[in-house]
Amino acid sequence: MKRRTFLQIGTMSAAAALVSGCQSANEKLIPFLIPPDEGITPGRATYYASSCRCCAAGCGILVRVSEGRAKKIEGNPEHPVNRGRLCARGQASLQELYHPDRIKKPLKRSGPRGSGQFSEISWSEALALLTGELKALKREGQSDRLALLTPQLRGSLETLATGFMRSFGSAQHLSYELLGPDWLRAASRRSFGEPSLPWYDLAETRYLLSFGAEFVESHLSPVHYGNAFGRMRQGRDTVRGHFTYVGPRLSLTGASADRWLAARPGSEGALALGMARVILEEALYHPEALAASGVGAAGLLSRLKGYDLPRVARLTGLAEQAIAEVAREFATTGPALAMAGETAAFQSNGAEAVRAVQLLNLLAGNLNRPGGIYPDRGAPQGPERSFEELLALVEALRAGRVRVALIKGNPVHSVPPATGFQEALSRVPFIVSFSTLLDDTALMADLVLPDNAALESWGDAIPLAGGREPVLGLMQPVVAQLYDTRQFGDVLLAAASELGGALAAALPYPSYLELLKKETLGKVAAPGAADADSLWNELLRRGGHFAAPASARMGEAKGSAAAQSAAGKSGAKGERNRESGGKSYRWASGAPLPEPGEPRFAGSEKEFPLHLQVYPSTAFNDGRGAALPWLQQLPDPMSTAVWDSWLEINPKTAKALGVGHGDLVQVTSPRGSLRLPAVVYPGIRPDVVAIPLGQGHRGGGRYAKGRGVNPLELLVAQLDGAPPAPCWNATRVRLARVSAEGGLVTAGHPEGSYRSDLIEI
Amino acid sequence: MPLTVNSVKKWWLISGLVLVALVVCAAQAALYLLPLDLKDRSPVQPVAFSHKAHAGDHAIPCLYCHRYAQKSPVAGIPALSDCRACHQFIAPEAPEVKKLMGYWDKKEPIPWVRVHRVPDHVYFPHMMHLRAGLECGTCHGEVAAMERLSRVASLKMGWCLECHRERKASIDCWTCHI
Repeated sequence: MKRRTFLQIGTMSAAAALVSGCQSANEKLIPFLIPPDEGITPGRATYYASSCRCCAAGCGILVRVSEGRAKKIEGNPEHPVNRGRLCARGQASLQELYHPDRIKKPLKRSGPRGSGQFSEISWSEALALLTGELKALKREGQSDRLALLTPQLRGSLETLATGFMRSFGSAQHLSYELLGPDWLRAASRRSFGEPSLPWYDLAETRYLLSFGAEFVESHLSPVHYGNAFGRMRQGRDTVRGHFTYVGPRLSLTGASADRWLAARPGSEGALALGMARVILEEALYHPEALAASGVGAAGLLSRLKGYDLPRVARLTGLAEQAIAEVAREFATTGPALAMAGETAAFQSNGAEAVRAVQLLNLLAGNLNRPGGIYPDRGAPQGPERSFEELLALVEALRAGRVRVALIKGNPVHSVPPATGFQEALSRVPFIVSFSTLLDDTALMADLVLPDNAALESWGDAIPLAGGREPVLGLMQPVVAQLYDTRQFGDVLLAAASELGGALAAALPYPSYLELLKKETLGKVAAPGAADADSLWNELLRRGGHFAAPASARMGEAKGSAAAQSAAGKSGAKGERNRESGGKSYRWASGAPLPEPGEPRFAGSEKEFPLHLQVYPSTAFNDGRGAALPWLQQLPDPMSTAVWDSWLEINPKTAKALGVGHGDLVQVTSPRGSLRLPAVVYPGIRPDVVAIPLGQGHRGGGRYAKGRGVNPLELLVAQLDGAPPAPCWNATRVRLARVSAEGGLVTAGHPEGSYRSDLIEI
Repeated sequence: MPLTVNSVKKWWLISGLVLVALVVCAAQAALYLLPLDLKDRSPVQPVAFSHKAHAGDHAIPCLYCHRYAQKSPVAGIPALSDCRACHQFIAPEAPEVKKLMGYWDKKEPIPWVRVHRVPDHVYFPHMMHLRAGLECGTCHGEVAAMERLSRVASLKMGWCLECHRERKASIDCWTCHI
């Protein structure tokens, strides 16, 4: 080509591109075919109150709906749990509704199991298949061979699920969640004689001590406690609450602390008891609180003899002085409170470590006190031993004692494979999944009965540990259903009515909505109240039933704080009881002293020199958010890593192993090995590496599938000879560098845009 | 002949590329500075709807079809079912009405081509302008005389401001750019 021609063509094509690029064609205006008759005015938004079901916290939400489409989710300002705030996961749940890979009709497996080959069928055919299997069980007298697996349900769905299983005649109902607060309920039962979860009055406290409780990201009710933490720091004129964090890794919560005690993994319980000993020795404890609980200080001190400062310092790897200082500050700065979290609880000695933290609260007089800890009255009961139940179910599956498994949720991804669950589940002849996407569990299923998206569903959300007063949040459909899907509850009711007999008699509801209405009004309506329909509408309008508006409760809290100080530090116990509605914490008589013992780990220290910590990702929690592209795009707040999985490693360790930032490493545990990029992160102990949970899905739609790795594959389910306990942070690993091609993407780095194809939706 | 690089030819190439870059920059600057209007003012519509016949000859009020203008930021265009409600009985044999019924039979809305549009960073509420007593024609022109709808105003910021100044309406940035 001649130079002149090249230049001419170049100029002309540039000019053409310029002109055509600017002359954008006129847009199209698409009118309704038939205008909806619900009074929709184009251009004007309607707001619906509902509840978020992305985690157990159950925040209240307001959904903006315009022209019949949900556009934006924000927090409900009247809801006492989140007071108008909402986390990224809640905001992103909008994308669950519009996910391009949603299952649009019931599916029947057409290829071999796990191949992902399904054919669409009608609902009548799908229900006939389901009830056919159930009827066969009944007919052959094997109704105990039905298993139901759900997340930890509360409210009307729990009533329905347990009612269904009881009337059907099977006891195999498992409510399991990887990060469920069973450990906290069990510890409370041992210490206080009742399984209610604690509600921390974080906003009013002056000294906060967290033993691995990541309350800003994932612990119990993160939006509630994130907000309360802000008020603890800045909400009072003269007081800025102090925060000390104990844990091997600086999470977002840890990074917000004034002081970080990087205790050795598994030594949290010993640290708490060491502090307790300092408090007792120096007589800094709260004598009335101890007396009220019937605990003698002298006896307690003599039994904590083993936790002297030098030994505790050796166990935890901390300085003696730091331990003593924090113990003194904690005991002398009132009100104070100590939290125990998943990081400490998922160790081999976690159950007792949590109790050691509870003892610390008792000593400092933090129980039932403003700025301290109250029992949560919203959901006082819940599963306490679901991990053992999981292991029992795995046994039943292996032994062929289950013929039909109904699964809500995605346990195939979120249960560690070391439990044998996945392998055992594949032996079940007939698996039914209620997933909205073809996730890992649905891929194993023979029949998929797609549930509605949350924004298309009725329901109730009983918040977990989000306040002292009971709260009942309601969910309502904010848009017309997009596809031919049905709610889980409605499918169970339809099956019950088809099966007839005791089942239909126990669940005589035409729809799940009727059940929900009856349950809700039964809890809320005062006898002889105004007509039920207007009450129901009012509840839907507000988003649920809240004991009192947030402002009034604030006043009450202040008032009670004043009353408390007027009554002196002793605060007669009867008065406290009345104040918290007749329920308060008291150390159970005969409750044994916490005895954490030496932590145990899977894998020998010689062969596997590093501790592996898995933690819920800010974006995905235990993995349920991974399908949503907004969350995939969300950078980790500490490392700014995006998209895939990564492994956090201390610079010292990285240097010793020759690992650089972004290198591909192979991490090997006694159970398996994974490859992922390394993030060199100074906020982690040199003997610990950490991997976030939530990635590594085999299914779950185009955004989750095949992205990252699932660190649960590395974990050992149970330590040899130990009683069954979920010890997800008690596995040791070793590390080897593979190459420099880790493919790590961090926000702000130019490479961050190379997967921008994902942004489109 | 392959493109060889000796000193003279290299200078030719560089000056040529600089020229191209200059032309591109100049064209972009011109587009930004000059009041160029590249959008079609009177696009051809999928159905030859005549505002003259409806609003002019038959004197149907604007708000009879654009019914949301008084209560919503958008005026709204009638749903296909609204068109059909009348044309089942009125002029059902006209060729354009048959085209309309064709859309109805296919259950497809008519993809009208948009004539009036302000950019996304402008909040333009119809209801506030009607409440202030403006006639539709102030901005949309003599629609009742148009066979095919045509835009008469530029819909640029200067044009908005002129009217706002004249009528003592707010010209604060946040009035429109919220």
